[in-house]
Amino acid sequence: MDSGWEDSCGERGFEQNIMLLPDIPEILVWLIYAAPITSALLIFVTLRGLNLPFLSELGSDGRSARIAVIFGLISWVLSLWLLDTTIHHHGEDLGFGDYVWLSLFDLEISLGLGIDGLSSVMIFVVASVALLVQIYSIGYMKHDPGFSRFLLFMSLFIAAMLGLVMSSGLLQLFIHWELVGLTSYLLIGFWFERPAAAAAAKKAFIVTRFGDIGFVIALTVIWINVGTFDISEINLLAHAGGITAPVLTGFTLGLLAGAAGKSAQFPLHFWLPDAMEGPTPVSSIVHSATMVAAGVYLLARFFPAIDAAPQSVSTVIAYVGGFTAIFAASMGVVVTDIKRVLAYSTVSQLGYMVMAIGLGGYVAAIFHLFTHAFFKSLLFWGAGSVSHATGTFEMGKMGGLRGAMPVTFVTFVIGSLSLAGIFPLAGFWSKDEILLEAWHADKLLWLIGTAVAFLTALYMFRAIFLTFFGEYKGGESDSEHGDTHSGSPHESPPTMGIPMLFGAVAAVTFGFFAFMHFGEFVEGALPEEMRHFHFHVEGLVLMISTLAALAGIGAAAAIYLAGRPQASDISSRMPKIHSTVSRLYYVNEVAEDRLVRGALLSGLARGAELIDRLVIETVVNGAASVTKLVGEGLRRSATGQVQSYTSAYMVGLVAILGGFMVLSGDMLSVFGIDIQAIIDYSLKMMNPKNLIPPK
Amino acid sequence: MLTGFLLLPLAGSIMTLFVPEHRKTEARWIALFFSTLAFILALVIYVAYDSTAGGMQFVDSTNWIQTDVVTLGFGLGVDGLSAPMILLLGLLGVVSVLVSWKIDEKPGQYFAWLLLLESAIAGVFLSLDLIQFFLFWELELLPMFMLISRWGSGRKLYSATKFLIYTLAGSALMLAGFLLLGAAGGSFDIQQLTESPVTETVLPMAVVFWAIMLAFLVKLPVVPVHTWLPDAHTDAPTAVSVMLAGVLLKMGGYGILRIAIPLMPDAALQSQDILAGLAGLSIIWGGVITLRQTDLKRLIAYSSVSHMGYVLLGVSAMGAVGFSGAALQMFTHGTITGLLFVMVGYFYDRTHTRQISEMSGLIHHLPKGGIIMIFAGLASLGLPGLSGFVAELTVFLGAFEAHPVATTMGIIGVVLSSGYILWMVQRVLHGPADPKWEHLRDSTSWPEWTAIVALIIPIVLFGIYPAILAEIVETGLQQVSGIVTVLEGGI
Repeated sequence: MDSGWEDSCGERGFEQNIMLLPDIPEILVWLIYAAPITSALLIFVTLRGLNLPFLSELGSDGRSARIAVIFGLISWVLSLWLLDTTIHHHGEDLGFGDYVWLSLFDLEISLGLGIDGLSSVMIFVVASVALLVQIYSIGYMKHDPGFSRFLLFMSLFIAAMLGLVMSSGLLQLFIHWELVGLTSYLLIGFWFERPAAAAAAKKAFIVTRFGDIGFVIALTVIWINVGTFDISEINLLAHAGGITAPVLTGFTLGLLAGAAGKSAQFPLHFWLPDAMEGPTPVSSIVHSATMVAAGVYLLARFFPAIDAAPQSVSTVIAYVGGFTAIFAASMGVVVTDIKRVLAYSTVSQLGYMVMAIGLGGYVAAIFHLFTHAFFKSLLFWGAGSVSHATGTFEMGKMGGLRGAMPVTFVTFVIGSLSLAGIFPLAGFWSKDEILLEAWHADKLLWLIGTAVAFLTALYMFRAIFLTFFGEYKGGESDSEHGDTHSGSPHESPPTMGIPMLFGAVAAVTFGFFAFMHFGEFVEGALPEEMRHFHFHVEGLVLMISTLAALAGIGAAAAIYLAGRPQASDISSRMPKIHSTVSRLYYVNEVAEDRLVRGALLSGLARGAELIDRLVIETVVNGAASVTKLVGEGLRRSATGQVQSYTSAYMVGLVAILGGFMVLSGDMLSVFGIDIQAIIDYSLKMMNPKNLIPPK
Repeated sequence: MLTGFLLLPLAGSIMTLFVPEHRKTEARWIALFFSTLAFILALVIYVAYDSTAGGMQFVDSTNWIQTDVVTLGFGLGVDGLSAPMILLLGLLGVVSVLVSWKIDEKPGQYFAWLLLLESAIAGVFLSLDLIQFFLFWELELLPMFMLISRWGSGRKLYSATKFLIYTLAGSALMLAGFLLLGAAGGSFDIQQLTESPVTETVLPMAVVFWAIMLAFLVKLPVVPVHTWLPDAHTDAPTAVSVMLAGVLLKMGGYGILRIAIPLMPDAALQSQDILAGLAGLSIIWGGVITLRQTDLKRLIAYSSVSHMGYVLLGVSAMGAVGFSGAALQMFTHGTITGLLFVMVGYFYDRTHTRQISEMSGLIHHLPKGGIIMIFAGLASLGLPGLSGFVAELTVFLGAFEAHPVATTMGIIGVVLSSGYILWMVQRVLHGPADPKWEHLRDSTSWPEWTAIVALIIPIVLFGIYPAILAEIVETGLQQVSGIVTVLEGGI
């Protein structure tokens, strides 16, 4: 699947590629985006019973599957062509037009395609992983009653994600950003009958939206000061020094907040592990390869603006990323659910990327995003395959699966080695680029990054040893996960195996793109003076990180394979630390119990409600008593409040209307009705006897 | 044409009144017939309105009262600000008749009041004269009071009365303000007073401004004069909730943009910070209280307080973009909240409860209703692609420069809205199927589905392509934004 790249890149780089294909026309670029939308619509109409001629012999699930794969393939092929075209153009913007969507006084919002080296790489990643995931889902979700609905939601997600990376305007990007959030909500909550899934879906949406407060402020600030949403205009202006430092600071920090929500950076990271309640194919594309990478993409997209902003902004970004990387990695070591291990690993790796952006390593961040998307998807597919066989995600109930599931085992190990950064797999090259940036820019972050490399190898190989080695612990016969089958473990069907094989190939080879001017290509998206990337490696950095990774593997082997020392010994020797880490640093407790339930619901909301009830009501009822007195005075009776009010009202109304009617005879003809009759009727209706409906 | 729009529901109202009590079906069909005609007319007005020419069009006017002292005109006209309101009113008029199809208790009288309400509101949106505006404003109270107190549920008399007192208190001051303005300006003609604003009355302008504003703020409603709204909504029948949230509240926002600001621009500019503060407070206060609601209908009602805060926020920006946001928000909130109330009624008709704690997993038994409820919820939390997003975004863009703190509160309000909406969805629709609700079935009745589809169409249409609404709104706001821009330049 990397052949398209190599054809056009050639060995000597993109400048001298073979021009086999003409430039892709704009309409076909739109088709990349339209294909999954069409897929969703077609799945919807077939679900509603409309029979498409060429698919009539299949059942409704079979039809949905075929539609999803065909349109996935269309998107993927076109994304390759697009990549080829952008390579011809050295990764520079292809300059497609914009279309006005909304124009209101000074406000003009346009929609258009912003295609350059950065976005075409992202489109390629999204389209490739999407195609593989759709195929994988056919095997994984086969027996689910909501199979077609699942493919429908997936198609919608893919469309939104493609729209996000294609956008030429910030607002257009934000629209898709929110739509991606919606589809993520629908997919996490796919098994909505399970309370945990429903809660996780809601949590993911709200926490990411919390970050979006920053995003909205950012786009408001930039529009007020620059008057445009066009991404390249904003970047060029920032680069040329046309935007003041305070505006740029507010803008970029706002973007960081949005990115932290989407890319699960501390302190908004805690929704992602819960999101693992969704079906595994969802975790592999939405919550590892693409959507969570959107935050990193956003920061990379505005890299010229971040670069032009005061240095402290970059430092903040780098440390948010660095802290998240090590914080999440430490939790990856203690969790027992294999998908959650991968989830924390994703948070940690995204931290790496964010850190790279903050350190000025634009290419390193994108390169790691690129390789990570493939090997992390692969790992999720492996985890799904394992649970498909055992009926559980709890590693304590697995064990010894390497004999029964050779394909899963081998591909999972390849993915883990790549993630751990072992030479010469993909993750090795991309991670080392980040560590190299850190080595030159900030030694503390380099140290953190190297520690993360150690922890990464440790938790991945802990997972491997617990899952594939030792004795089989019997899985879970009474599965609470709706997407699994129980029984004795067996290898998964080819629809699941094939994507894993492709993923393994990518996990091994995609690192070599580093030698093929990947960096220069994605730098085409930056202003010319900012293009200074040269691929190189540094022996010392490379050696230390490799040693760290090997040490991690060794430690995992000693503890979980040989049992020396036993894992329980370690945890009992430092109970405080162990309990803190395994309770995930109490972030959930603080965020949900203290802040949301405590401060917001029981504090603020209860207080506001009380004030509403007591203070405001007292004032109103005070006013009401005055009215009551007046009413009583008028009626000289005390039959109750209501009658007093109504009579007061009627007296007032009659006085006003009567006054005007006395003044004017024309009015009746203008209205064309007999107002007096209405008033009489109203008065009759107002009679207390009529006010209480018959029981 | 506009007189026709005004009189059609009224004609229907009178006709239904004379339908004998036992012939219930006929009353329904008469109501549907007249409200549909009115809607078609509204659609024609909206489409035929010439945006390039702008200004008041289709004007019908006569001199109503002529004395030596003062001339009272009776005039109807429509411009870019009122045209969307008329369209919304026509649409919700039909919807409210459709969702009342099953009303069994004296449908003749019920529909008579409902149609009279539509006429009264039409009068408010179309009036070219202050006194006439006021009369229609008052006329709307009567049918509202009757509908809530007779066909409502729960503490309906209490709620109806509370609604009445609040509005009357506000409108008394409003009348005083109008009279002062008219006396000083020598005319009650809104256009004339806009072109040559009154700068001095017997009382200070700020007092006059706030006297008139108070009526509008109560109607909108804004914290702290909002407590009538949740009660009125909770106890009103579904159709009345739809009208109340959909168009009645918009009379407040419309009044601000049509009367308060253009007639007293100086006073409005001086008060903009207070207005922004009230807006921010409403958004947060309403949103936070919504989170705690246990009654489904009350929850939607409180969310209206929060959402109408955006209208005031847009207005308080005193600029073209903010005004546009406010006008867009009025329209979109009308359709979205209308749909939410229709769906609350849909669930209540089947479960006979509105307590959220008693519901769970309803989407298993009512899949179609559940999906539409989620759709309406997503529209309400401002999802892009649906109409609420554009409106809220325009408000933020327009208001941030003038009022960064209040706007930030508004942006936080969006997060609160996703909180209460999604939490509601989680509790009511998601979760395991409850055998208690085994017997529930989705509706198959055409009036219900027609009403639902009629509301979905504009939400999607204006969400995907807002320009069709924005174009006309822009024309309608040119004059008022011109006035404040000139003044702001002077300050």
